[in-house]
Amino acid sequence: MHQHLSLKVTTSGVRGIIGESLSPQILTSFAAAFGTYCGTGPIVIASDTRPSRELVRHAVLAGLLSVGCTPVDLGIAPAPTLMHYVRTRHAFGGICLSGSHNPIEWNALKFIGSDGMVLPPNKTAELVDLFHQGAFPRVSAWELSRVKLEQQAVADHLQAVRRAVQEDRIRSRGFRVAVDCCNGAASLAAPQFLQDLGCTVLPLYTDPHRPFPRSPEPLPAHLSALGALVREQQADFGFALDADADRLAVVGSDGQPLGEDATIALAVRHVLRKDSGPVVVDMACSRIVEDIAAGFGVPVYRTRVGEIHVVERMRQCGARIGGEGNGGVIAPEINPCRDSFVAMALLLEALATEGGTVDAMRSRFPRYALLKEKLDFLAREIPTALRRLQNFFRKETVDRTDGIKIVWPDRWLLARASSTEPVVRVIAEAPTEKEARQLMQQAFECLRPSL
Amino acid sequence: MSVRELKIGTSWVRGAIGDALPPELVVNFACAFGTWCGGEAVVIGRDTRSSSPMLRSAVIAGLLSCGCEVIDLGICSSPLLSFAVRDMGASGGIAITGSHNGIRWNALKFFGSDGVLLSSSKSEELMDLYHASAYLQAPWDAIRPVAEAPDRIDRYLEHILSCLDTPLLRRRGFRLAMDFCNGACGEVAARFLEGIGCTLLPLNEDPTGEFAHAPAPSVSNMRQLSSFLRCIRVDLGAAINIDGDRLGLALPDGRALSEEFVLPLTALHRLAHRPGTVVTSLSTSQMVDAVARRFQQEVLRVPIGEGSVMDRGLAEGAVLAGEGSGGVAALPVAMSFDALLTLGIVLESMARRDCTLWDLTEEIPRLEMRKGSLPCPPAIVHRVLEGFRKSYLGEELDTADGLRIRWEDAWLHIRASNTEPILRIIAEARTADRADSIYGEAMNYARRTAFQSGG
Repeated sequence: MHQHLSLKVTTSGVRGIIGESLSPQILTSFAAAFGTYCGTGPIVIASDTRPSRELVRHAVLAGLLSVGCTPVDLGIAPAPTLMHYVRTRHAFGGICLSGSHNPIEWNALKFIGSDGMVLPPNKTAELVDLFHQGAFPRVSAWELSRVKLEQQAVADHLQAVRRAVQEDRIRSRGFRVAVDCCNGAASLAAPQFLQDLGCTVLPLYTDPHRPFPRSPEPLPAHLSALGALVREQQADFGFALDADADRLAVVGSDGQPLGEDATIALAVRHVLRKDSGPVVVDMACSRIVEDIAAGFGVPVYRTRVGEIHVVERMRQCGARIGGEGNGGVIAPEINPCRDSFVAMALLLEALATEGGTVDAMRSRFPRYALLKEKLDFLAREIPTALRRLQNFFRKETVDRTDGIKIVWPDRWLLARASSTEPVVRVIAEAPTEKEARQLMQQAFECLRPSL
Repeated sequence: MSVRELKIGTSWVRGAIGDALPPELVVNFACAFGTWCGGEAVVIGRDTRSSSPMLRSAVIAGLLSCGCEVIDLGICSSPLLSFAVRDMGASGGIAITGSHNGIRWNALKFFGSDGVLLSSSKSEELMDLYHASAYLQAPWDAIRPVAEAPDRIDRYLEHILSCLDTPLLRRRGFRLAMDFCNGACGEVAARFLEGIGCTLLPLNEDPTGEFAHAPAPSVSNMRQLSSFLRCIRVDLGAAINIDGDRLGLALPDGRALSEEFVLPLTALHRLAHRPGTVVTSLSTSQMVDAVARRFQQEVLRVPIGEGSVMDRGLAEGAVLAGEGSGGVAALPVAMSFDALLTLGIVLESMARRDCTLWDLTEEIPRLEMRKGSLPCPPAIVHRVLEGFRKSYLGEELDTADGLRIRWEDAWLHIRASNTEPILRIIAEARTADRADSIYGEAMNYARRTAFQSGG
């Protein structure tokens, strides 16, 4: 049925387009399924700032209440705040109501287990199974609970992150920081957080009641306004967040974005300087991370793309730092999920302890050209397209951990079906932009011979 | 066989909280109603039941998804919601309330833009949309935030007070005890009574939703009020159901009046000042007929239910529509059953005649009524009714709702309940003996047929 083309049910949650695939009926049933899965206890919810948030919120509240859960509503709050709250307050689970980096017409439910982490694949499968069975044990009028409103969660989360770094040293530097919140869930929290760390804050797009002024994905192309603000106001650097504040991108003092892969690189380098240990990143992350880890003599483990895959692997190998190439930094001792506040804190601490500028720190790493593209695809066409690509490169080293990754000594190419949109994401990294462009071109020709 | 405790009637959907009334079904009905309203403004309100917040969320989600502007009145009575729909020029309204049903139940009641419960023809359009799952789906930028209406009580009170002789009522300064059953009407009633200069001694006035007793204002549910009345000195005792559409009255000495008295008592005053037709249901006592005769007015009878009574009342330009349940609407002031306005009319009547509630009841001829019910699964009820129709062949029959037989001195009404899997039997006659014999005969026959049909 054409209507449901945009509905995605994956380990990243249930995503769809409002008015097309993400109906209130589906949202209510998924909330009821999740409530059934977690049991009759507190389930925490938080939403981003999309105009559809009230629709999603009410649909979810109805579903949770119907199976006897007590919804704890944090209101508009960042995803990492929700996850921190679930873990530290021992809730039975959480649902993040956010389309994250997807365009504004999307919205989504992201399911959080009682450990404060995204549900892993096996648990997601159980949840989806419950959803498909469709018969949820509804409670009677006497067993119904009521919605609790919670205002304290953001303050608790920010305090926990600040306490994990050397607050005084950061404060003494008195950074001048521009921050672009995309009018998203961290519009109030991020400026507050930076102020508490002694920064002079230059806020941009921090009105949670207005629509997104740019694409919520903090890609370099979307950060020109932040770059201009940094230049005009002579900020030390700029931070850009996505709609649910799990990802961070950095803009240098010249207003130029460092690239999302720089966020994880800076964070990894800083943590390894303090503490030796393995590093875990996803398949789409730049090889800068391997270069940095090699300098400290520690291994890098690569996982499938998706927050939970990285977090699970980190737990297995006891990694203290990891994340994703898209700007998601994970430091499990502070908060075992992608957390832009953790990323900001680590970067500020690195600058405060090492001295110098963001730009200088970035220039310590080798530069690779990393290109990211996406191709629209119908879900049913994706496997064939990927097979064509694998055939073409069958003589090379092919890694099938996630989609198809072809690895050469100094470059790589990754094509995989997105778990959040009906697209194939193609990423190429090579020593020069020209070489990366060539890889990308080859990939496109294989995936879409007609192009 | 277990019966699913869900009833989809004209202008409402009612179910037992749990598997029978899951939020998805509520979302679907809200979507159907939002679509019926063309994605325009819809007013919603809820009662104090523990399940009402859940239903509210489901209703909001459904309406928003159709692109409707949702105006949420919060905890409010059904007549207030009916007025707000008209007053705000909204396209419709949904009252989330189990009304007179027990705490286990809840329901959606659908109001059209005129503030009247959906008539059967409008309801059919709505059910068509529901069954076809043909809902409007608004794009993301048409999803609006939920609006509130802080002046809702003021506007409503202004309206109903303007229709009463407020100076007269204030001069008289009644004292009354009132039982709110912890429903949605405590605040609005207190302000209404203040407006007409009454001293209120409230009972169960907190909107906790933990009902002190079954909420229908019947004699047996007014026991607590009766004991209260025996300890205090007031002019009158009143009981109001959860969403304020039904009224019960009690004498100052604690004797509760049958809810059948409310309509004739209101008619006594209303028809004296505003002559016109009265519309009531087939099950309602004929006491009102005697009152109407006094003013040379006509009484029309229609199938049971507020929607059906109001529909005919509007079509006939009636001045009063009501039922034996204690639900009365003084048309065209009220477009739905309104217990507060009804109470105001009764009080005005006492003030104008300078008499007591007992004096008013003395003006109404006494009739003997017998009511009862028999468990009867939906699968069998129609066969039982068909049996009745055959056995009373030759009598004066009305089959608009079950069957109603009229004799010169009595009547008998047998029908399937709209809300429960039971058969209801109601008989009324001038003498107790006659009422007992008609009722007894019908009940025996019903038991026998239900048994033979496998009930």
